[in-house]
Amino acid sequence: MIEIKDLHKSYKMGSNSLHVLKGLNFNIKEGELVAIMGSSGSGKSTLLNILGMLDELDEGSYTLDGVPIKNLNETKAAQYRNKFLGFIFQSFNLINYKTAVENVALPLYYQGVNRKERQEKALKYLEQVGLKEWAGHLPSELSGGQKQRVAIARALAAEPKVLMADEPTGALDSQTSYEVMDLIQKINDDGNTILVVTHEPDIADMCKRIVHLKDGVIVEDKKVDQVRASQYV
Amino acid sequence: MFDRDIWQEIFHSIRSNKLRTFLTGFSVAWGIFILVLLLASVNGMQNGFYDQFNDNASNAVYIHSRTTSKAYAGFEKGRRIQFTNDDVDYIKGSFKGDFEFITPVFERSTSARYKEETGSYRVMAINNEHIFIQKVNISQGRYINKSDVVGGAKVAVIGKKVATDLYKKEDPLGKFIEINGLPFMIVGVFTDDKDEGAESMIYAPITTYQRIYSNTSDIDQIMLTYNPDFNLDEAMDFSNKITVLLKRRHKISPDDQAGLRIWNTAEAFNDIGQFTGILQIMSVVIGLLILIAGIVGIGNIMVFIIKERTKEIGIRKALGAKPKQIIMLVLLESVFITALSGLIGLLFATGLLSLVGPLMDAPAFKDPSVDMSTIIIATIVLVVAGMLAGLIPAIKAARVKPIVALSDK
Repeated sequence: MIEIKDLHKSYKMGSNSLHVLKGLNFNIKEGELVAIMGSSGSGKSTLLNILGMLDELDEGSYTLDGVPIKNLNETKAAQYRNKFLGFIFQSFNLINYKTAVENVALPLYYQGVNRKERQEKALKYLEQVGLKEWAGHLPSELSGGQKQRVAIARALAAEPKVLMADEPTGALDSQTSYEVMDLIQKINDDGNTILVVTHEPDIADMCKRIVHLKDGVIVEDKKVDQVRASQYV
Repeated sequence: MFDRDIWQEIFHSIRSNKLRTFLTGFSVAWGIFILVLLLASVNGMQNGFYDQFNDNASNAVYIHSRTTSKAYAGFEKGRRIQFTNDDVDYIKGSFKGDFEFITPVFERSTSARYKEETGSYRVMAINNEHIFIQKVNISQGRYINKSDVVGGAKVAVIGKKVATDLYKKEDPLGKFIEINGLPFMIVGVFTDDKDEGAESMIYAPITTYQRIYSNTSDIDQIMLTYNPDFNLDEAMDFSNKITVLLKRRHKISPDDQAGLRIWNTAEAFNDIGQFTGILQIMSVVIGLLILIAGIVGIGNIMVFIIKERTKEIGIRKALGAKPKQIIMLVLLESVFITALSGLIGLLFATGLLSLVGPLMDAPAFKDPSVDMSTIIIATIVLVVAGMLAGLIPAIKAARVKPIVALSDK
């Protein structure tokens, strides 16, 4: 699903250049649930930005579902993001003046899905995250865990190839974190490819594979025995 | 563009930011309000000016004889020029097709009497074509007609003031008025709401009056209207030709400005037209400058809005919004706010005009109003203004990197 070859990325800081990613190689197959771990400054956010087509790589290649991701203009990047990727953010990033169902329907709007179908699909995915009865509520009326579930429903709504979660539990308490991870695991069980960036080992352990980043290089890439979050819920 | 969803987005955004929208809209509404008032005021001035002259035909030419100021052709200066009926016939003969109506004018102040009532009035002796040149407004009866002039009938058309002075509550029509000791039958009464002084005048046939003054053929003035198809240049050319020929005829030096005076309405109208034209341009410029201030205000607020919505735009882009869609969203919002508030300004301005307009009737200010074309132009200006105001912020918004939506840890 994702193929990264010899990926380099550096940022110019005045006259100095900061080499953030120093030649990464890895592949993610369909249906995987991968945790990308590392302390801050390890380059994990940069990697996610590049994978999410929010930033461009300097060297190397990135292929997503057989499509080389290179030299994209804004419009093309927007199309690919819409078609291939679903984002889940640490701070949920719901649009605060839109109701839960409107937030979930937004990526569908950008896909050009008609109003009725959008509404139906959005409700279906809200139901999947267990928030159907909260459809008409604004984000401000939801708890942190509920917001993240709405955000997950939104990411799912576009039916992307890969879900990218950037510290999805970073703003949640441990109990809610487990609930969210339980949901992510269930989505993964349905066959979705999911990438989770985290610095919390217990969250990483709930994935099937952990890629450990340190100072811009992969120091460890291992399969793990998945800890099911449902036992804590 | 007429996608229901995008409008829903816009209303969402407006509803959740009422104060901001109000402040933005106010500056545009104010700009349009001022622009419309300015244009209407200029219009009012123009109407007022034209109204002052509208009493007479707008293509009238008046020729008065004067006293020469230069010696010429053996004559000393200071010679009094006297027009006669022959001059009128001469113009008629020389300028066929160039003029529409023409009348000789013979004018005297005299006393008039009806029973015990007497008064001193100005009598203007003219022919039947005069009514088309000075637009006499007949309220009762008729005007001097051709057979009156041909037959030298002793008939008179009196002003309303003369009628009330001499006849009090009696109906003057068909009654006799004694002018210069001779009885004239009143065939008509006229009014003039622009000039009450004119209502104390009496009109009589020129032939009759010249006969009273010992069969003279002298006249004081020639009034005519030029061919209404003439443009300004042709009209001026025409009156210049008359001047040249009359000067030659009466042996006035061609460069003597005093010998006779010719007054062409076209010239005055042209001057007014130019004057109000300049005023109009100035008011448009001032109005646009005010509008620009409003637009800059909107642009300013839109930039602020974009800053405030950076995160939201980042989220939208992360969810797959194309730059074009973001531009459309921002642009339409600003066009919508500008157009709506502009229309409100327009409504207020036209409302105020229709309230205050009829009350204003100063001599040089009448019926201030804006025409449809002004409103249409204002609307177009508004939409374009909204686009301009939204354009820079919209492009800015489209450039927002979705990365910023992510980098909030």
